[in-house]
Amino acid sequence: MNRNITISFVLHTLLVIITAMSLPFLAKKPIDLPPIVSVELIQISDKTNIPFAPKAKKIIEKIKEKEKKLVSEQAPPKIVKKEKEDAIPLPDEKIEKVKKIKEEKQNPEKVETEVKQVSEFEKKELFDSSSVAALIDKSKVESAETNKKLYKVTQDQDKKIDFGGLTISEEDALKAQIFGCWSIPLGLPYNENLLVRIKLQLKPDGSIIRTEILDHARMNKPGQGFYKVLAESALRAIKLCQPLRVPSKGYERWKELQLNFDAREMLEG
Amino acid sequence: MILRYLVILLILIPIKAFALIEVDITRGNLSPLPVAVSPLSIDEKSKNSFKEILKKENIGSEISIIVENNLKQSGLFNPLNKDAFLQKPDIANLKPRFEDWNLIKAQALITGKVTFVDEKLRVEFRLWDVLAGKEMMALAFTTVPSNWRRVGHIITDKVYERLTGEDGYFDTRIIYVSEKGPKTNRIKKLAIMDQDGFNNKFLTLGNELVLTPRFSPTNQMVTYLSYFRNLPRVYLLDIETGLQEVVGDFPGMTFAPRFSPDGKKIIMSFAKDGNSDIYTMDLENRIVERITNHPSIDTSPSYSPDGKHITFNSDRSKYQQIYTMDSNGKNVKRISFGNGIYGTPVWSPRGDLIAFTKLHKGKFYIGVMRTDGTGERLLTENFYQEAPSWSPNGRVLIFYRETKTNSKGEGFSAKLWSIDLTGYNERMVETVTDASDPSWSSLLGK
Amino acid sequence: MNLSKNLKNTFLILVASLVLNACAVQKKTTGQLQGDVYTGSDTIEYLASGVPDRVFFATNETVLTTASRETLRKQAAWLRKNSKINIVLEGHADERGTREYNLAIGERRANSAKDYLMTYGISSDRISVLSYGKERPVDSGSNPLAWSKNRRSVSVKAN
Repeated sequence: MNRNITISFVLHTLLVIITAMSLPFLAKKPIDLPPIVSVELIQISDKTNIPFAPKAKKIIEKIKEKEKKLVSEQAPPKIVKKEKEDAIPLPDEKIEKVKKIKEEKQNPEKVETEVKQVSEFEKKELFDSSSVAALIDKSKVESAETNKKLYKVTQDQDKKIDFGGLTISEEDALKAQIFGCWSIPLGLPYNENLLVRIKLQLKPDGSIIRTEILDHARMNKPGQGFYKVLAESALRAIKLCQPLRVPSKGYERWKELQLNFDAREMLEG
Repeated sequence: MILRYLVILLILIPIKAFALIEVDITRGNLSPLPVAVSPLSIDEKSKNSFKEILKKENIGSEISIIVENNLKQSGLFNPLNKDAFLQKPDIANLKPRFEDWNLIKAQALITGKVTFVDEKLRVEFRLWDVLAGKEMMALAFTTVPSNWRRVGHIITDKVYERLTGEDGYFDTRIIYVSEKGPKTNRIKKLAIMDQDGFNNKFLTLGNELVLTPRFSPTNQMVTYLSYFRNLPRVYLLDIETGLQEVVGDFPGMTFAPRFSPDGKKIIMSFAKDGNSDIYTMDLENRIVERITNHPSIDTSPSYSPDGKHITFNSDRSKYQQIYTMDSNGKNVKRISFGNGIYGTPVWSPRGDLIAFTKLHKGKFYIGVMRTDGTGERLLTENFYQEAPSWSPNGRVLIFYRETKTNSKGEGFSAKLWSIDLTGYNERMVETVTDASDPSWSSLLGK
Repeated sequence: MNLSKNLKNTFLILVASLVLNACAVQKKTTGQLQGDVYTGSDTIEYLASGVPDRVFFATNETVLTTASRETLRKQAAWLRKNSKINIVLEGHADERGTREYNLAIGERRANSAKDYLMTYGISSDRISVLSYGKERPVDSGSNPLAWSKNRRSVSVKAN
């Protein structure tokens, strides 16, 4: 009897020691969040270029020193977005940013998904609902909200300092504004054509002279009642966003714009 | 050096000036639309008349509260706080000062007027687009004073349709089973209420077990299962008269009854010798038709809105799955293939989706799929929930949940819940007692 | 660092194994399940001395187990002796299923028992079937043992 107990005890202890040495420490490590791109420091230029987050800091610091002399030449921040004197960036700066140019547009979202995945990792440790969680539609809320937050921040133009490395094209800047103003009617049928094209005539300060709905005849077509609702929501978005933040130069270019509102992506899910 | 850049500039600028810049706006925000619901204006004389008849201080205010609550519950609108309103109801109704409403960020405004005329309640209301600064809609209703709550619901339906492009669902009722007592011996009664929880009425006394009620499309009749005299059978109940009658003369248990979309037939399951099949009975000529003929359990039938197809629950492939067939029983096709057990299929009033209950790894889910079985989406998960029922516009699902009991067997409760088709706006529906087996009526006005 | 890591791990593993052992011990004493079918004696009533009034089923199943058949043979014998007595077979289901399907499966379970009694010479005139689905559980717990007690077909004297 005693012999058996001893053998059992020895074997159990051996097992515990082996497990202890082979496993990594089981408790959770502190989560490492990648630094978020400080997107307040956006200026208008031709190309959207938001370098990869961890590198952005280094690039920002490097360019900050180079650009110190340019600070005094900048116009006061107020409503109008800052635009560089030259439409084309100087060649030596361009080379530094070249590496990550392809990834810019996805980058803001990329950072967000990294953060999101990290929290999903935490979730997995507590419940095992991973396969079904994918089916539940709630993630749409998260991505809609994180996108909203991101675009709201890009509108914060009131910083004086010019960090020449970070740029966003005029088009993306305009999109970001309208995204924030457009309340998409949730009741729209998601399997129909949900495209409304609106032509705008703008004043130099960004306020609107007139709007024109391009498929106007569709507004009163029977069975297309939702089109009227969609068009009205687009018009409200434009009105709400007045005056639009427009570039200080090149009025001839953007005095007439066409906005193509397409709700399909948001509603299809 | 500079010359080089000047040349490039000169070439590029003219090209840019000619192209019309097109910007694709493919995103927006999904937050509820801010609306201001102004209390309906009412003159002193009318106010006092209604106070006397309906025992309400200010009926104009009461009706606007119904609209406000409905809009808020839908999850699509955000009614703004009345304390911030600058304009008084009577002035706002005539000509709103849009700058005032814009100030509080309202994008739409509802105003109106209530009068007591010819012993009747007359309500006119207007919907304004605050940003465009113009009227979007103006309507008036006259009805008996006791219908004042329905007026609030009808106004909400009109506003909802105008702003979302979809039919409303507020002027509707819900029939359900009210429950009380210990889990081992529940007392159940049929109950009916307005969709916002008001005007609750019990339709049976609780002396016998009642289950799974359904409205007829005319909303005047209800079909349900009753254990009257210990014989579980399908019954019909007339809501107005309270008269009940058993459906058909079946030599065994009938259960899971529904109406056909034209209200002329009852479709149900009939169980005999261990086998349950689906049958219909014509309410006029009483002719009974057998729809399925299979040794498996066939139950929970649901017609498509055009009456041409039926979706149902069957265990002919060993476990509960969802099938569709023609309304004469031909062309039976299985449509559920995911992991788990599927039950309670219900065809959406829009015709494009089927909602269902799913059980997988000990968890219950409410979900939807297309009528061919593709695009399965699970909307919510719980310890126990089942039996979704569609709102008449096919946007909201109402279902019920039961709670787990503790080790002593205590803590049992059953409640109604609703969720949007998109998976948003999951909320509990308040009922006076515990509740289960909800069914949504069609719009009362139609 | 490596040492402290090992110590921490050892501690965690010891605690974990203690907890697991405790759980295992608990299961054994309350378990009255064979497979998924209730084999205990709680909730059983008797039609007569030595004649249990009910049989139990596995989840989603309506087939009779060996133990069920034995119980039903006893019931059949008792019914043959008391030829004036009629019975109602009440079929039940557990709460882990949809309500309407549970009504159907309760009916099927009761019929399984009825068919077996008939093979022992009891006339179908003497047996009626009634399903309660999940409406009348005998145990209000939300655990596998409670559910197994609820999956049953009960023979009730009708006269």
